[in-house]
Order: sequence, then C-alpha cells, then structure tokens
Amino acid sequence: MAFIEVENLNKQFIIRKKREKGQLMRPKEEISALREVSFQVNQGELVGYIGPNGAGKSTTVKILSGILTPDSGRASVDGLVPWADRKAHVRRIGVVFGQRSQLWWDVPIADSFALLKEIYHVPEAAYQARMGELTEALQLGDLMRTPLRLLSLGQRMRAELCGSLLHSPSLLFLDEPTIGLDAVSKLTLREFLQWENRQRGTTILLTTHDMEDITALCSRVMVLGHGRKLYDGELTELLARYDTERIITARYEEEISGTAWPEGCQVRRNGENWIITYAPEKIPTAEMMARMQQAGHLRECTVQPQNVDRLIARMYQEMEL
Amino acid sequence: MDTLRLYRKSMAMLLKSQMQYPASFLMQTLAQLVMESGELMAVILLVDRFDHLNQWTAGNLYFFFGLMSMTFYLTECFARGITGAFSGMVRSGQLDTLLLRPRGVLTQVLCSAVDPRRITCIAVGAFSFGLGSRLSGVAWTAGKALIILESVFCGFWLIMGLFMIEAILCIHSVKSIELANALTYGGRSACEYPIDTFPRPLRLLFTVIAPFALVMHVPAAWVLGKPLFGWPGWTAAVTPTAGIILFGIMYLLFQRAMRFYRSTGS
Repeated sequence: MAFIEVENLNKQFIIRKKREKGQLMRPKEEISALREVSFQVNQGELVGYIGPNGAGKSTTVKILSGILTPDSGRASVDGLVPWADRKAHVRRIGVVFGQRSQLWWDVPIADSFALLKEIYHVPEAAYQARMGELTEALQLGDLMRTPLRLLSLGQRMRAELCGSLLHSPSLLFLDEPTIGLDAVSKLTLREFLQWENRQRGTTILLTTHDMEDITALCSRVMVLGHGRKLYDGELTELLARYDTERIITARYEEEISGTAWPEGCQVRRNGENWIITYAPEKIPTAEMMARMQQAGHLRECTVQPQNVDRLIARMYQEMEL
Repeated sequence: MDTLRLYRKSMAMLLKSQMQYPASFLMQTLAQLVMESGELMAVILLVDRFDHLNQWTAGNLYFFFGLMSMTFYLTECFARGITGAFSGMVRSGQLDTLLLRPRGVLTQVLCSAVDPRRITCIAVGAFSFGLGSRLSGVAWTAGKALIILESVFCGFWLIMGLFMIEAILCIHSVKSIELANALTYGGRSACEYPIDTFPRPLRLLFTVIAPFALVMHVPAAWVLGKPLFGWPGWTAAVTPTAGIILFGIMYLLFQRAMRFYRSTGS
C-alpha cells in the first residue's frame, strides 16, 4: 500500500448567495471543489500540486490533513484515515499555510516552539536534537529571541517551517510556501526542503503558483482544474506538449524595413530589438535565420524557449480552466 | 493533568505577550475598573433609595452582586477563548490551525486567549462581596466558605457553557449573537439581584434554562441565613452542580458542531 492513497474523493461546498428582492430564502449554489480525485504518493516523494485559483488544491490539502471531511471517497495516509483519526494523524504530519501563521504573534519564536513541544509531547532530548538541526538548516539562531511580528516575511516563513517540523513529521504539506518571498528567501527555502526530503525522507506535497518551485523541487507534478485531476507525471513531459514555440530577439546594425517575415510568425519591436515568436515545427529555425540575414546586417540575436508561466497559462487555456 | 499543564504554559506565554504593550494594558484595565464600579454604583443607588428589596437588606444585595461579579469576570478572564475570541478565530481561519494539532479543539481554544484586564472587575466584585458579608454579619465557617467556592467554581462552567451557545451558532455560521447575549450578559445583569425579586417567566428562565439561580442564589442565600424558597440546607451544596451539567450539554453540542464544521468547510 502506498504512503498516501486517495480514491475517488468528492467534495462539494454550498454557497449561499445574496438574497435578491422578492426571494424568500437566499439561493443556494453548489460548487464542486473536488470530483473523483484519485492518486497515490510513495514515501519520500516530493510532489507538486498545481492548478489555477479555485481548482481545489487547498481543499485536497485540508482533507488530507484532517481539517475537512470529504462527501465521498476514501483516503489514507500511512494507514490512517485523516478525518476519522484526526489526533493520531496530525501527530505525524506538518502543515504550512503560506498565508496563515501558526506561531504566536507577540512572543519570541523560541517561546512558540517551546509551547509546540508541549502540544506535541516531544521528549526533551529529541526536541533539543531536532531544534539544533532545524535552527542551523534554517539559519534561525539569531532570531530565536525575536517576536514573530518583528520578522520579515522570509524569516517568518523559515520560523513557520521550523514550527511545523519540530515534531519530526513524516509528511509535510506546504500550501503556497513561497508566496511573496524575495529571490534569496525562495532559494533558501527550496534548498531547505530538498535537504529535509533527502536527510529524513520526509514526504512533501506542495501547492504553488510558482513554476520554479516545481522545476527546482518536484520530479512529479499533478495538475488540478475545476476539481478534477488533469495530469499526473513529470513536469518536463507535461511542458513538452505545450513547449512548441521559440522566441528570437534580434538587433540590426542599421534600420531595416519592408522585410517579408515568413507566414505564421509574430513580430513586434521593442526599441532597437525585434522580437519574433515562431513555431520551429512550421518554420524551421534554419529558414528563420536565413530570412533574418537577408533582412540586413545582424548585430546580435538570441533564441529562447517560451516562459514557463506562459506555457502553464496556455495549458490552462486549452484545458478550459 | 497534562491539559492543565498545557493551559498553564499557554497562559504564561499569553500574559507575556500582553505585557508587550504595557500602556495599553494599563489604560484598558482602568477602563474596566470604571465600568464595573459604575455597575456597583447602580446597586448602591438602589439601596440608598429603597434600603431593602423584599427580604434582602443592602448588605445582602452587595453580597449577591459581588458573587456574580467575581464569578462572571473570572470566567471572562480565564475562558476568554470562548467568551470573546471564538468568532474571530472562526473568521480568521485560526480554528483550522487548531485542528492540525493533536489536542482537543476546546482545550486549544481556551489555551489561546486570556483577558487579564478583568482583574479590576474581579477586584470590585470581591470588594462588594466582602462588604456585603460584613454588613450582613455572616459568621464564616469552613462549610460556608466551601459552599461559596463551589458556587464560584460551578458558576465558571455555567457561564462558559452559556457563552458556548454563541460559539456553536458561530460554527454553524448563524449570526444571531443577540439571542446568546440575552443569556450571558443579560443573565449577569439580572442575576446580580436574587431570583425571587423577578416575575415568574424570568425566574423560570434563570432557573431552568440558564440556571444562575441554582448555581449562585441558592448557596448565597443559605450562607446569608435566608434559604431561598425555604429549601433545606443540603440543597445549597447540590444545586450549583447544575452549572457543570449545563456545561456538559454544551460540550457535547460543541463537539457535534465541530463535526459539522469539518464536513462543510471554512
């Protein structure tokens, strides 16, 4: 049996709309947050979970962490049903919500950690060892006496991670962990997650909108849209389907005009730069290059793949999300 | 035992965090003093005008007022998570994070707030209680002291239980807090005076539904040597447990509401 087993999970929310004139009751609307979602995750895997806003990502995380009960379907994590064995289950998982804090606002973070130790019944020796490990890996040493409210967002996220891992969970859920972080903080966070995953074999499931989180961390990605699972596999394979365009940025020695660009490519100008988007399948790069040389004296030119976010946007569009 | 330990540690931490803002704390504490002194003033003015209410002398009335004040504000101080902070925790999603920890939800709710500003209200209550006991000439014995302690203890659970009605409605996302307030704050204001001064419908309300009379008035009247309704002495020791029973019922309803919460989402 796999570490996480999810089978035909369904969840609906009933939303009450505002009452309009002449209506006695507020009209109800049912929204399917999850429809027949199934997947398996093995121990030690690092899985990314993506999809547009409102796709059901957070709902899945909430069900698997025992906060919500699904309408139908089965799920088990390490042999336990999250919503039925809540206390036993949450002892073995850690959850970080990028937009919600689990630590106490006005006290030094060391005090928060000490209280979490109490809540999770972590033995003193294990606590000391784990804290030593985590403070070093997350570079929290100098911040331990600082109240949470005085930390920067990046520092706060590191503190949150420490808090959610100090009872050494075997499964970690991250709901948009890099939201709002600067480049350095993102990199540190990713390195840490890799370290935790390799060092302790912690299974990590993360939802994100940042494709670099996925490319840097996850070998496997699941795409969710309108509550359905649309893809489950490697990210590179998924992107290959949509990665059909190349972008050339070119600059000429002189002003050029009246060039006949090949049919089917998009051309726009940005100052001195010509930006040409084309599909190598239709217009081979050799032909493209030949045309460009005919146009004038080429000073410099770069060929780039399409931005990952654009690929994802295209994927969402084609899947009609 | 373990739960108490967690509660104690949580309280220590919360107090520490409140003391981060000493000026604000001091001013709010003083504001509470003014407010509760005003309440006591109302009783003093009443006594000044009428000098007794039915069989109850001025001292007796201070005694009842003090008992209610101490109990009510002790609850507001130590059960702040239920009496004040709960609806905010539901709205902000903090309740979700409590579900992520291997402890009971109610325990964690109680561990997440404290309101030490109420200390002045409790002090006013204690003053009124002491004054009332002196003026009424109560001859204190261990038995009487125990009965009062029992009354305060059971009153704590009673008041918390009544505030849980609001919490339960809040989980079901019903916004009819007025109804719950009628029993909690309304109960406090009314039952500062002994139950037999009220007409029958109110007597029933505060005996059967929100049993302030059973928890506070029966034992207090016995200590004052004027047993309510002429009930025998042992009833003073038994009736306060109604508070615990009410809390028990509310606790079960609360657990049910949490199951509902987990199946409908946030």
